[in-house]
Amino acid sequence: MKNKYIFGGIMIVLFLGIMGYLFTQSNIKYENNFALVKSTNKTVKATGSWVKEKSYSYDSGNNLFQFYMKDQNGIEMRVVYRGAMPNNFESASSIVVTGSYQDNYFYAKEILTKCPSKYQEQQKSTSM
Amino acid sequence: MIGSIIISFALLFNIIAMIMYYLNFKGYNNTISYARIFFHLTSIFVIVASSFLWYFILTHQYQYKYVYSYSNNSLSTGLLFSSFWGGQEGSLMLWILFTVIVGIFLQSYASKRGDLEPRVMSVLTLALTFLLVMVSPWFKNPFEIIWTTPIFVELKSINSNYLSLPFLQQYWFSVPQTNANFIQVSPALYASLVQNGIDPNTFIVNGRGLNPQLLNFWMQIHPPVLFVGFAMATVPFSFAVAALMKNEYKEWVSQSFPWLLAGTGILGLGIMLGGYWAYEMLGWGGYWAWDPVENSSLIPWLIGVAAIHTMIVQRRSQNTSGGIGRFAKTNLILSILVYILVLYSTFLTRSGVLGDASVHSFVDPGMLVYLLLLIFIGSFTLLGLGLIFYRWKDLQSEVPNDESLLSRELSLFTAAVTLCASAIIVFVGTSAPLVGRSVDISFYNEMHIPLAIIVGILNGLSLLLKWKITSTQELLSKSVIYVSISVVLTALLILIASITDIMMVLLALSSIFTIIVNGEIAINIMKRNLDRLGAYVAHIGLAIFILGVIGSSAYSKEQTLNLVKNKTVEAFGYQMMFTGYEPIENGSKYAFNIKLTKDGKSYNAAPVMYIAEFNNSLMREPSIIVLPTKDIYLAPLSYDETGHHNHSENLKIEKGKSINYDNVIITFENFEMDDDVMKAMQEGRDFQLGASLVASLEGKNFPFKLFRKQVNGQVEFTSYESKDLNLRFQLVNLSTQGVELKISKLDEPIHLTTDKSEEVLVVNASIKPFIGLVWIGVVIVVSGFFIAFSRRLKESF
Repeated sequence: MKNKYIFGGIMIVLFLGIMGYLFTQSNIKYENNFALVKSTNKTVKATGSWVKEKSYSYDSGNNLFQFYMKDQNGIEMRVVYRGAMPNNFESASSIVVTGSYQDNYFYAKEILTKCPSKYQEQQKSTSM
Repeated sequence: MIGSIIISFALLFNIIAMIMYYLNFKGYNNTISYARIFFHLTSIFVIVASSFLWYFILTHQYQYKYVYSYSNNSLSTGLLFSSFWGGQEGSLMLWILFTVIVGIFLQSYASKRGDLEPRVMSVLTLALTFLLVMVSPWFKNPFEIIWTTPIFVELKSINSNYLSLPFLQQYWFSVPQTNANFIQVSPALYASLVQNGIDPNTFIVNGRGLNPQLLNFWMQIHPPVLFVGFAMATVPFSFAVAALMKNEYKEWVSQSFPWLLAGTGILGLGIMLGGYWAYEMLGWGGYWAWDPVENSSLIPWLIGVAAIHTMIVQRRSQNTSGGIGRFAKTNLILSILVYILVLYSTFLTRSGVLGDASVHSFVDPGMLVYLLLLIFIGSFTLLGLGLIFYRWKDLQSEVPNDESLLSRELSLFTAAVTLCASAIIVFVGTSAPLVGRSVDISFYNEMHIPLAIIVGILNGLSLLLKWKITSTQELLSKSVIYVSISVVLTALLILIASITDIMMVLLALSSIFTIIVNGEIAINIMKRNLDRLGAYVAHIGLAIFILGVIGSSAYSKEQTLNLVKNKTVEAFGYQMMFTGYEPIENGSKYAFNIKLTKDGKSYNAAPVMYIAEFNNSLMREPSIIVLPTKDIYLAPLSYDETGHHNHSENLKIEKGKSINYDNVIITFENFEMDDDVMKAMQEGRDFQLGASLVASLEGKNFPFKLFRKQVNGQVEFTSYESKDLNLRFQLVNLSTQGVELKISKLDEPIHLTTDKSEEVLVVNASIKPFIGLVWIGVVIVVSGFFIAFSRRLKESF
């Protein structure tokens, strides 16, 4: 009887231990301050918006998509992504890029676009 | 108005039904008939309310905000039907509709089983109360009139007859950058319209429509199936709480069992339909991305499947040893958790807490709904787990666990524990955004490979073990044949597919072991009793599914291809040629035809790209060639008529504005226009348009001019080179919007429009070996659930 509980206990501790370890290894922090994003080369999820006024390009030869992003404080950074401009990109109200900042570029492994389901806020800020 | 009134009445009737059911449970015998009447009234009102919502959508009654927001005149009837669940309010309504329908069946089922009805139904009506409050006029009401709160409506949605009304100017807004015009629809405008004798219901004549990603066949199937699964999760919860209310734990297991089987079967189907949708239509490349929204419905499914396994043990031990049976507490907790996790899933996806973490975008629902959802989860957790705590002493009287280590009981329990471990992993990863974190996909994958191996082994092993006790010798002699066949088959697989990764080998081995053991038993049983096939079928399905996952994800190959029109590119042994594009679906989309040939056989693929009017974005749809052993997946990336213009950048500058390029400030000062340009343009004569710009670096100014020339109908753009700046400015476009420049370094080679005839389609091509097994596996698993359901339904009488 007792052995069973000890065995079960060990299994639980082992499981939680492995999970905790992997969690600390693979967890990624959200960051909406690009000053901090630029200060580290750790992988982060940087949230901000696309700077539409600035240039963007897609290099089909190398399958590289480049654009500028800015955070709430207006700090900008240049993002490079291996892939094409994602669906919904042009209309995205905010963008989350996962990757790390190195040598003046943010290398994004993943781009997630958030779409405004309601357009009210946007119009308010531009028309009043 | 009418919709809100019906919903309010449904809520009222439901509360009465709940109270009446509860009073009946407390011993007031005469309340049961009232409870039934009011519950059925609730059902009728909910069904009527849903019908009204459908009716309003189908008849384009845009005075309802929901109808305006999620449908428009151009949607097909099928998609109009699915606009019902296109937004938050409607999907809540759908959930309620299915809960009510499930409730009708449950009421009839429970009324035939002693004193079960008042207990089960008081719990179900309690859940329904919370749901109905959420769609009531104070919260997320699908029948909200568009005039009640100010909202901006695009000009094209407004009846053009009214656009000339003078007072409309007050409500007119325009966005300067995009030149889009909006009318602010508000109570004030409503009043103005009424004053001028205009029927406000005729003011808005079109809606915004659905997000283009939702505009396809699966939108009509996936959400409803998922919500049936969600609604059915209410039932095991209700049975568990009902058992705790009565403090009697024997009967609820067999009564709840068929419901749990059907519910998890449908939920699983719903989840994987979503996966198929993502793979086939949305071009996410795979069927499963561990997206928080996908995950959040997987968690209750895993717990539900765990509960199925321990409930089998409890039923079995009830029959053999009497009493309430083994794992009584476990089963209560798991059954309660299934619904709580469904609610948690709703909370994650609808409260806006996932915000940036998920591709499934939901609007921030507002503080009230956020709180209401928290209260909903909180009170159901408290109710369920609190009752277990309250009854803990009575639950101790279960059968002593006399099974040995090598028993089917313990292996089924271990299976349940493994499934719970999987659920915990997904739960932790999915909840990470709540604390501002997110986990990489590797977290899920690395944790699940060993778990999947354990599941595979248990799927075979548990069936070789007998109930209570199996001698080690017996097990060894029995399993040696299965294990050796599995090893031989796996070895063959390794040779054929050249699998080298040890984890993949083990995973394949455990899955093959499952198939061999379950397959043999299934064939034996098939001759006698088809009824009992459920478990074996589900296990074989799962093993096939896992083999499909191994093939399609671990051995998938991917490559980005530049397909120049009419030139052959070889990839994965296929000759691929882009042959041109053609408009499809009335010119709203473009299909890019690619011809693939291999060994004299040819296949046609046509990935799709289009600019969606809804959000003015480029949308893409993949094309899949399904072959017996693999899928060829072609996801379009871009289409380029000139080939290269990528090594330098395009900059847009509006008149009077400046832009910073590598510390060089470029200002577009003015247009350069001859006096007769307008005339020349109209007459079709050659003309030139110019722009004067200034580039400045460290205080030095370099003014220059660029021209757009039209010579013999051909448009040419000039460029300007500055040695001081080491830059070359090439004009790309000049319009009233401003100038568009391409800037490149002088010492770098430039790729301008060198070869104008070149048309390049860029696609991401991938090979997904044996992905068909994933779908086949899912279908087999789900049918297993339903075979088991029909058997357990018969047993529940």
